[in-house]
Amino acid sequence: MKGALAVCWRDVLKFARQPIVMVSTIIGPFLTLVLLGSAFGGAITLAPIAVVRESYGPYSSSLIETLRNEQSCQLGGINCQNSFRLIDVPDLDVAQQMLHTGTVRAIVHIPRDLDDSLAAGAKDVITVTLDNTDPLSTAAIGPEIVQASQSVSPGIQTFGISTSNATINLEFAYRNVLYIEFMAPGTFVQSIMFVSIIAGGVQLVVDKERGIIEGYLVTPLKKHEIVIGVLLSGVLKSLFSAVALFILAVALTGIRPLSIFPTPDPVGIILTMFTLFLTALGLIGMMTAYAVRSTSADLYRVTCFPINLTLYYTSGAIYPLDGMPQWMKEISVINPETYAVHALRLLMYKGVGLEAIATDFIFLSAFTVLMVALAIVAFRRGL
Amino acid sequence: MDHLDLEIKHEVFGLLGPNGAGKTTLQRMLVTVLSPTEGTATVAGADIVREADKVRERIGVVTQASTLDIELSALENMNLYGMYYGIPRSQRQEKIAELLKVVGLADRAKIPVSGYSGGMKRRLEIVRALVHEPQVLFLDEPTTGLDPQARAAVLEYVKRIHEDHGITLVITTHYLDEAENLCDRLAIVDHGKIVALGTPAGLKREVTGGDIVEADFSTLTDTVLKVLEKSDFVLKIKKRDGGLTILVKNGAEAVPKIVGLVDSNGGRLRTITLRELTLDDVFLNVTGRSLRD
Repeated sequence: MKGALAVCWRDVLKFARQPIVMVSTIIGPFLTLVLLGSAFGGAITLAPIAVVRESYGPYSSSLIETLRNEQSCQLGGINCQNSFRLIDVPDLDVAQQMLHTGTVRAIVHIPRDLDDSLAAGAKDVITVTLDNTDPLSTAAIGPEIVQASQSVSPGIQTFGISTSNATINLEFAYRNVLYIEFMAPGTFVQSIMFVSIIAGGVQLVVDKERGIIEGYLVTPLKKHEIVIGVLLSGVLKSLFSAVALFILAVALTGIRPLSIFPTPDPVGIILTMFTLFLTALGLIGMMTAYAVRSTSADLYRVTCFPINLTLYYTSGAIYPLDGMPQWMKEISVINPETYAVHALRLLMYKGVGLEAIATDFIFLSAFTVLMVALAIVAFRRGL
Repeated sequence: MDHLDLEIKHEVFGLLGPNGAGKTTLQRMLVTVLSPTEGTATVAGADIVREADKVRERIGVVTQASTLDIELSALENMNLYGMYYGIPRSQRQEKIAELLKVVGLADRAKIPVSGYSGGMKRRLEIVRALVHEPQVLFLDEPTTGLDPQARAAVLEYVKRIHEDHGITLVITTHYLDEAENLCDRLAIVDHGKIVALGTPAGLKREVTGGDIVEADFSTLTDTVLKVLEKSDFVLKIKKRDGGLTILVKNGAEAVPKIVGLVDSNGGRLRTITLRELTLDDVFLNVTGRSLRD
């Protein structure tokens, strides 16, 4: 076992002496977190909307005023800003042209008889035309216009959406989680994957090419000691990167995991670390098995890119699994990153205990055992 | 490898041969990386097939391509090797300090190896293989890619290691001067077989007649070549770029004869020189081609 520690120590020393490698395993996922996390999931604000007003009574004035003041906040309820920027357009045709050219995202058409109808206690229809070539804006703007309209008069019917007299009371089970928080667990897993590919696998292929592995074999080191050393160093390196990223994310992007805030929870921290450990050992095992059987470093690098992308995007790291087509869901079921992301998300934002993530642990453990076994077999045969 | 039979004593032993002759393959078998398909060998008293573990503990290996970790210092590189051999820390540190002094790297021991010259790297690699005090040290092309000065230094240290530490050295090389100056005995390997075996001087003596004439031509005709090949004072002829290398019985008598024959057969000589035998000539004699081919 001393031999395994020596092999591990070499890898760790090399990792520490190659700051570029070390940083690249942290900075890549960190950029993904900051850029993707900030670009996506933010509230749509100041969306330009054309208002074609043909009725000039109190109801229509009130509607326009409400729309003007309708605020949209990020999911966390911070930095609220006006959702819409209203542009008065005298003519429906002109408004449609503006929608077509992308000058406005939507048209609110207030019909000539609106004030009269509402004053008479009747119902009337306001047509809201949405630019649904931009599905995300459409999804955000549509409901907000409806909400604003209905607060003016229950008699207003926005086109295509019928109102009922039932009141729906929404309650939130947890605090609001920002999109950047939602996607953070995936980036931690990503940093582990980066270490597995770059600092684990690539180094192994290069060592093989340079004859360092053969150099091991003329010493009394046993093959199992070499593979254990490689796996152990991989786990240490990836935990280092994942934890560094975690700290960076908490410090710089305002992510607030329950295991740390408001008070640190040792159980939560231990479970989080254990999830990261299992994920690291499984992914390192997988990439080691692959690397040791790879014949060239270039081929290895090129093939790792699609492997990484597939695992990341089908893990539910950046979008809910529910929103995926069936074929992606099927990949996600056998994707270890899915279980890692799920467990981390529950631990970070729901503060759950072991029982809630037991399934994730069972899958990750099985995957890890399988991959470590595969790595050992590949090492025996590949060298 | 083709059924070779060889005994290496406590000596500096050279494996000489052209690229692809099988030197490295032979060495890789002896250091237990490759298993022989048949037969076996005993290295440092242990069988390479049945007792590979024991062999590994008793040998040191310096491979052709560098396996140093250039991001790490000399001290760290050596320390890791000591750890692979399970040498206790205090013993390790003492031995490493001593060895680094031997090859003149003590004052640079703590800087990353990436800042070393080619010769320094080689020296470090050689002493790294000595951390566990092996009985046999295998060196595969130890001076390849070094400039003459660095080569000389490396060879100097290799010699000293043999003399001071009493280690058996097995060196593969394709440098003739290296083999000649360094090795007590040599095996010339070609096509996986040993084609000649003996001391450098002894091998040269085996080449009967034993003089070499180098003739450069401005005009070399086929007739000249044919006539020379038929002459009884010529033992062997080898064509090379711009001239001929001719192995003759007696150099002093042969030169005027060659000059006469060339003249009378329409050839024109530029230079003709008589020189001493080298191992290349030995190789030429046993294989019919040059080591450089």
